[in-house]
Amino acid sequence: MTEPAAAVPASGAEQVALQSRGLARRKSKDFKRNNLVGYLFISPWLIGFFLFALVPILMSLWLAFTNFDLLSGRGEFIGLANFERMFFQDIRYGRSLSATFKYVAFSVPLRLIFALAVAMLLNTKRRGVYWFRAAYYIPSIIGGSVAVAVMWRQLFGSQGVINAITALVGFEPVNWLGNPQTAIWTLILLAVWQFGSPMLIFLAGLRQIPSEMYEAAEIDGASSWAKFRHVTLPLLTPIIFFNLIMQLISGFKVFTQAFVVTSGGPLDTTLFYTLYVYGRAFSNFQMGYAAAMSWILLLIIAVLTAIAFRLSDRWVFYETKEG
Amino acid sequence: MGQALTFDPYKQQRQREKLLRTIIYYAGVLLLAAFMLYPVAWLVASSLKAPDEIWTNVSSLIPQAMRFENYAEGWAGFGGITFATFFRNSFIHAGIGTLFTVVSSAVVAYGFARVRFRGSSFWFSVMLLTIMLPPQILMIPQYIIFNRLNWINTFLPLLIPRLGGDVFFIFMIVQFIRGIPIELDEAAMIDGCSKAGIFFRIILPQITPALVTAAIFSFYWTWEDFLGPLIYLSDPNLYTVSLALRAFADTGSVTNWGAVFAMLTLSLVPVILIFVFFQRYLVEGIATTGLKG
Amino acid sequence: MARPKLRLLTIFVLTALLLALGTAVLAQDEPVELRVVWWGSQSRHDRTIEVIEMYEAQNPNVDIVYEFANFTDYWTLVNTQAAGGDLACVMQHDYAYLAEWAERGLLQPLDPYVEQGIIDLSNVDESFIAGGRVDGLLYGLSLGSNSQAIILDVDKFEEAGVDLPDPQWTWADFEAIARELHDALGIYAYGSPSLGDDQIWTSLILAHGTNPFNEDNTGFGYDDDGPIIEHFKMLLRLQEDGVIMSLEEMAQSAEGPENSPIVTGDAAMQYQWSNQVVAITSAAGEGRNFRLWHMPRPEGGRPANYLKPSMFFSIPTNCEHGEIAADFINFFTNDLEANEVLFAERGVPISSEVREHLRPMLDAIGQETFDFLERVSADSSPIFPPNPPGYNDIRNNVWLPLFHDPVLYGQISVEEGVALFRAEAEAILSQN
Repeated sequence: MTEPAAAVPASGAEQVALQSRGLARRKSKDFKRNNLVGYLFISPWLIGFFLFALVPILMSLWLAFTNFDLLSGRGEFIGLANFERMFFQDIRYGRSLSATFKYVAFSVPLRLIFALAVAMLLNTKRRGVYWFRAAYYIPSIIGGSVAVAVMWRQLFGSQGVINAITALVGFEPVNWLGNPQTAIWTLILLAVWQFGSPMLIFLAGLRQIPSEMYEAAEIDGASSWAKFRHVTLPLLTPIIFFNLIMQLISGFKVFTQAFVVTSGGPLDTTLFYTLYVYGRAFSNFQMGYAAAMSWILLLIIAVLTAIAFRLSDRWVFYETKEG
Repeated sequence: MGQALTFDPYKQQRQREKLLRTIIYYAGVLLLAAFMLYPVAWLVASSLKAPDEIWTNVSSLIPQAMRFENYAEGWAGFGGITFATFFRNSFIHAGIGTLFTVVSSAVVAYGFARVRFRGSSFWFSVMLLTIMLPPQILMIPQYIIFNRLNWINTFLPLLIPRLGGDVFFIFMIVQFIRGIPIELDEAAMIDGCSKAGIFFRIILPQITPALVTAAIFSFYWTWEDFLGPLIYLSDPNLYTVSLALRAFADTGSVTNWGAVFAMLTLSLVPVILIFVFFQRYLVEGIATTGLKG
Repeated sequence: MARPKLRLLTIFVLTALLLALGTAVLAQDEPVELRVVWWGSQSRHDRTIEVIEMYEAQNPNVDIVYEFANFTDYWTLVNTQAAGGDLACVMQHDYAYLAEWAERGLLQPLDPYVEQGIIDLSNVDESFIAGGRVDGLLYGLSLGSNSQAIILDVDKFEEAGVDLPDPQWTWADFEAIARELHDALGIYAYGSPSLGDDQIWTSLILAHGTNPFNEDNTGFGYDDDGPIIEHFKMLLRLQEDGVIMSLEEMAQSAEGPENSPIVTGDAAMQYQWSNQVVAITSAAGEGRNFRLWHMPRPEGGRPANYLKPSMFFSIPTNCEHGEIAADFINFFTNDLEANEVLFAERGVPISSEVREHLRPMLDAIGQETFDFLERVSADSSPIFPPNPPGYNDIRNNVWLPLFHDPVLYGQISVEEGVALFRAEAEAILSQN
């Protein structure tokens, strides 16, 4: 092997460039042609971006500095007033930030760990495993439908299944959805229960690990744990990384579940960021303010994502060979 | 032959251990499956309950009397437009949408993962940034654009943008491609393969699991989406299943919950079928590719 | 910067398009396309579509296209359409939003159509349409009349041996009766929804003799927060003693009429707008005995009830077929056959002729609703002017999250809450 050690430690999309550096050294005369080919390959997205996304995004950025009214379609430039209001005057804004951070901090890791564990469990050739995969994916396809709202409220209701179970262990019944301390946990649990999509991606990732790797490890007499630790986990890191980034982004943008189950209550403990943005824009018509909040959300997610990309050097491996 | 006759205590013990493990495995997996399947069981049961039983006998999974009329009442839809229409529309929306999304995402992902070009990391970052804004805030400007294009009340605003791929899938497929050893590409390149050739012959077969996953997700997410159809499809003859389902239930009015649950149950069937159908390829993906090539 | 230009362009393109379309229509005498949009559930959709088809049969030159959604989705939809300048010609409207829309110039006044006789209001009492007026102009025609009510479960009252209250009962009477019911039955005297919502606030102020907001909508119309403090202290007392459901338990219980405590038998009284009583009753099933009662009033105060339109039909400014839209609204309001199909599903019809026509066909609860509205119209306060711009902001971002919820969860005192509410709400109103 010409490349030393595992992987090409790099961050973000630089990996793409770095990874093919060895290639480029040999075929540097291809550089120009590759530019054209590269843009040709990404042109579908690029064209779509310029046609349908760029203008709305720039518009929303502009709106963030105005007091634009959704209904009348009028607004004036008001400088940083929206941001000032957000950070210094709006009591609910702070509540929505803390609810969102709490949700992300707990739901993302729990969901990923659970999804990975179940994916490992189902990554086998045992009979009937297809059906289990389908069964485990089902909660995720019930998604944000009205059924989830009804069912979740029923599960955690005063006479619900959860209270029945905790009563067996001798606990007093709890108003899970009405109590400001517990309501957000019902939503975190809902997120963990709907682990289907990261699970499926993990499964696809596990499928991609060549069986030779395990065979080699077995010849070395590796235990199951050692195989997991030294073969599965490192080879899965690109997928773990992907799931982490995507769960982080979607965690911060969580909307539907809170919208249908708790509507932000009680006492704003589940007033997730986008729920509040939506309310400001569509119930109170304060599009300018809502746009300003959205761009702060973008900033928060972008900074966290960038940090995750930087740190990924240390643990994400991008080649199937490793030492 | 000989094994049957000779007594091997270790082998027997190993077999017993294996059997025990199998039992534990299935017990665990089944228990978990019961948790996961509870909502579906509940939904199907509710779809068969009489209106007064749905709320008085909520937690029971067995209806006191099967009421199949719920399905007929739900299927009837609104003012003569039945769910046959809504299902047809949903199939158009989700079917074509998925095809567009998966194909474009794979092409774009290959560009980002394996082609070196100036500005690649810049555009990749821009792409990720675009999904960090709440969609609710981009809805209005997008509506204005499509309105000016005169695309309202057609499927165009829902389908055409998908030709650009989906950021989630692009990123996902990029990660999968990065897991494929670059030596495969190099070998093919030495054989005189073009970038496009490498994509079709080397990469595409390798990323089948990723594509299948993308197809399953894309189909389901499109099937479930109601915000897009709500805004862009104004003629009830173009309503999708998800949109029609929501039009059933209104907080201030009498809602026929039996019908809602019946149609909700039906609406899950295509998604489950797609899952069962596609996940076959999730397994075949590895069987046919391996890394021997 | 980009925005006004864009709007101008949109308007330009639209006008050009409409002009072209208009001439084409005139030249070819093709049917006129009229868009109608409403919210509701399956039964309302079916009824409305049937009436649309009846109208089309009588008016072959009109081709009606329609859209419908549930209440939540409806507002997302029409807000987007408003921003895109693409609203339907006839749109269902809600009291909470009517003034906000009218003051932004999105709706046409209906008065010209009334003067021309296209909309016939000869059988309609002024008190039924007053709620649709903003600054003296009629922006929405009521599709049904409505008033706040306390639903009483008569059987529970009998079981407890408590007499039905006087129609002119006060909040003090309410407290006494609630305690009697609770002591006798052991269930909640009152369940949900909260007796402290923003509409109770405005009706409380109204009953004390003033309008909630001042004339130019720049502040409150009252200076004394005493009645609000007193009301919430009563709620806290009852909540603590378990006489009424606490806010925590309300948040816990499932939504929808099917799960409301009076339906499940967990409570004897429930506060509701009268047009939702049908949903409650049908959820409760056969054999129940519900009556509608006046809202309690303050000691020595005016009636707390007022007649409010349950919903309207409005004609947006961008509609170019205003006369046809008005004719359709008139059909909806006055046609007897159409109303047989609609069957007061949107509230008690405003036309006395329609009411008399439907009355013999009504079931018991329908009769009760009609009667209740008649009793209320005889003993009510005149409706206050429509809510000022910013009202929804006050409701969603101040009344509920900063005052109502923290007070009823016992996090802050009533006095603290009221002071915060006044400060924050007046800051919003001062921008008007």
